[in-house]
Amino acid sequence: MSKDELLTTKKSDLQEAVKIAEKGTHCGMCKIDFLGSGVCPAGKKHGFAAYWPEGRMEIVKALYSDKIKPTEELKRIANSCTVCGICDKQCNFTTHLRPEKVANALKEFVNKLDDKVFEKIPEDKTLQELRSIVGEKWVSNDPAIIVSYTKTIITPDAGVNFYVVMPETTEEVAEIVKYADKYNIPYLPRGNGTLLAMFIETLLAKAVSLEKGIIFDLRRLKKIEIDEDNKIAKIGVGVTAFALQKEAYKHGMRALVAEAEAHVCVNIASVGIISTWGNTYGWGSDNFTDATLVDSKGNIIHHSDEDLTNPYSTNNNFTNLTLTPSTIITEATVKLHPIFEDEEAVLVPFEKLDDALDLALELAKRNIGLSLAVISSKYLSEFICPTNDIAEDFEYIAKNYLKFNFMVDVVCDKYDKKVVEELADVIIDQKMMKTLILGSPRFASLKESEFLKILSEEKNPLKAIFAGPMKDHLEKALDPSPKQIAKVYDEDLQDFFEKVYSKPEMTDVVWLHAFRILPSRLMRQRMFMLRGGYIVADKKKIIELNNMLRTIGDKHKLSNALGFISFLENGKFAFVEYDYYFNHLDPDSHNRLNQAIVETLQMELKIKGLLPIEYVFHKGLFRKEHLFYPMPEGLSDDELKILGEMVQTVVGG
Amino acid sequence: MVKFLSEEWIEIGKKYILEKLDPVKDLKSITTSLLGVVEHIPPDDITMNFYLELEGGKLIHFIVNTGDTFDEKEATYEIRGNYGTYKSVLQGKMSLGIAVLKNRLKVKGSKMQALKLIKPLDGVIVSLKEITDEFED
Repeated sequence: MSKDELLTTKKSDLQEAVKIAEKGTHCGMCKIDFLGSGVCPAGKKHGFAAYWPEGRMEIVKALYSDKIKPTEELKRIANSCTVCGICDKQCNFTTHLRPEKVANALKEFVNKLDDKVFEKIPEDKTLQELRSIVGEKWVSNDPAIIVSYTKTIITPDAGVNFYVVMPETTEEVAEIVKYADKYNIPYLPRGNGTLLAMFIETLLAKAVSLEKGIIFDLRRLKKIEIDEDNKIAKIGVGVTAFALQKEAYKHGMRALVAEAEAHVCVNIASVGIISTWGNTYGWGSDNFTDATLVDSKGNIIHHSDEDLTNPYSTNNNFTNLTLTPSTIITEATVKLHPIFEDEEAVLVPFEKLDDALDLALELAKRNIGLSLAVISSKYLSEFICPTNDIAEDFEYIAKNYLKFNFMVDVVCDKYDKKVVEELADVIIDQKMMKTLILGSPRFASLKESEFLKILSEEKNPLKAIFAGPMKDHLEKALDPSPKQIAKVYDEDLQDFFEKVYSKPEMTDVVWLHAFRILPSRLMRQRMFMLRGGYIVADKKKIIELNNMLRTIGDKHKLSNALGFISFLENGKFAFVEYDYYFNHLDPDSHNRLNQAIVETLQMELKIKGLLPIEYVFHKGLFRKEHLFYPMPEGLSDDELKILGEMVQTVVGG
Repeated sequence: MVKFLSEEWIEIGKKYILEKLDPVKDLKSITTSLLGVVEHIPPDDITMNFYLELEGGKLIHFIVNTGDTFDEKEATYEIRGNYGTYKSVLQGKMSLGIAVLKNRLKVKGSKMQALKLIKPLDGVIVSLKEITDEFED
């Protein structure tokens, strides 16, 4: 039997694993210990994406589709899995998938193959040069390693003509860039790849990805040094939001961070850290005191260098569009903020966005709320519910029976809380939020309940259920307990999840806001693409933007909803995230999404006072004063036409 | 077919632009000048540049030089990038727009005006594609 025949025979064993792997969306949560279960031991030891659960998913798909052939490195990757089950626990919490089955299938497949099947990948000059800089272990041109970066920096059709390098220091990064520049080798840095995973699913894929050359996987630069006296932390680019926040909390402080799995430095440089805490802490450049960068010539730049021309400056018009970074950030010194003992989360539910914005803008202008946002019932449901089905029913009940479409979400101290309570008709306090989190499966099961149907006919169902006598009944009826919520998981994982949900932080809304472990559930077996951007915080404009994005989403038959609206600069500016959800396995879904992206961008560019999210990319190191003052004028039809032609060359290229 | 940045490339390029590109239809009657700086040219890692000037869509100058500046004329725009990037653009593997968005080509000069030039310049690039298929490895 020839090598190829042998492979074809064995490949059928991978079918079930491929079905699981296809549902993976690269949320990157398997690389952080957010449940206290530990992380994949093989990934921790070897570093490359291939050794992590999400990488094995790409490998299985690539093997099955003949994109790669077995190599000696593949054998090492497959057998590095200890079948410890950690990946199942982590991934099940976030995406409801069981990646261990994928790892097992890969291991079995590889070990059934004859030794003669495995190829050794030849070395070349570039590989040798990169090895001389970072050491033999931390660079590879093996297709099994390369392919694991598919969808998080390279496109599925990009082939495997790449090198992956994992430098440990800024100096190593600089040496590699010098080498790449001299020999005309393209390169691109990568954090955890989650944002890239989102954009690679769209028509912008070619503009944001690497077509060949050197992939910088920056995970190894993970220094964290807390300076308690000066309330700062020096961090390497490999430090995730979760890791920094955990360390900051140990010292009684908090950092402004993005989603748990995001690399903090990368997030500062890319979109400036978009967060509900921006109400108090500001955005990217407000939160670092120094940054170390490597420029395109391999020079190391420190923001604190005396002879550096203003590194915080940029122009704010629509030609300032760049979809890949011009420098590689390797370190930053970030500010840490105080934590108050009386912090509490208070949520104020509303039927209409108009009313929610009235309250939120009032609070933002008066700088009330450490963290402040308007969030949709869609977001709340997705975040707190353990499965997509439960989230869907939870949202249905919230919208149709309780008339609860939006909420003003405030993390406040006792003084701010008084103001919120005075201004709000109804509040959902920490205790009720704990009830809704632990009781979400039972709450969702009330979809056909006669009681809720009757309640919906009340003049103010929200008040009746969250502030009236029904409140106690609801709490009892939902039987909110770790045991109850654990029942929705597979039987073998129920004990584990009962313990997880017994931890106070899992129902502590302030902690959940600070550590941001729940947003990755938006990528639960399907993808989403964000629209919107920064806008002057004018209620009418925000509502018009929301309505326009909804209309276009509906037109293209995309499930869509407002995500959240956060605030900056004492309520002068708002960030609006509106989400289009789509099936990443369905080409028609991609086509509809891409049409919606083009249409929404055209409409957004005409709105005076709006900076679409695409125009914020790689601007986080700049002062917001340069980006937002003044906010751009909308484009005229002629200007829009020119821009459209440019977009055409981009999409076509 | 001639080698990128050779004297023949300039000569045939001039001829091609003059004969094959319509000043109004293809080049939108643009008046501009640009300096293309090409860095890290193998095998000796040298830098060269080409200066291109159009008036009302007609080619006035197309000159190639060594080094990263052209002292005789001051260009309205400078587009700087390495040899690999220019090669990708001229081989049609990457569009001019995408090279700019990816920071592979850096533009100096008014970006709004530069944006307006992307489409007609794409026409020039297409024409240069037709005459060049020899590159240093």
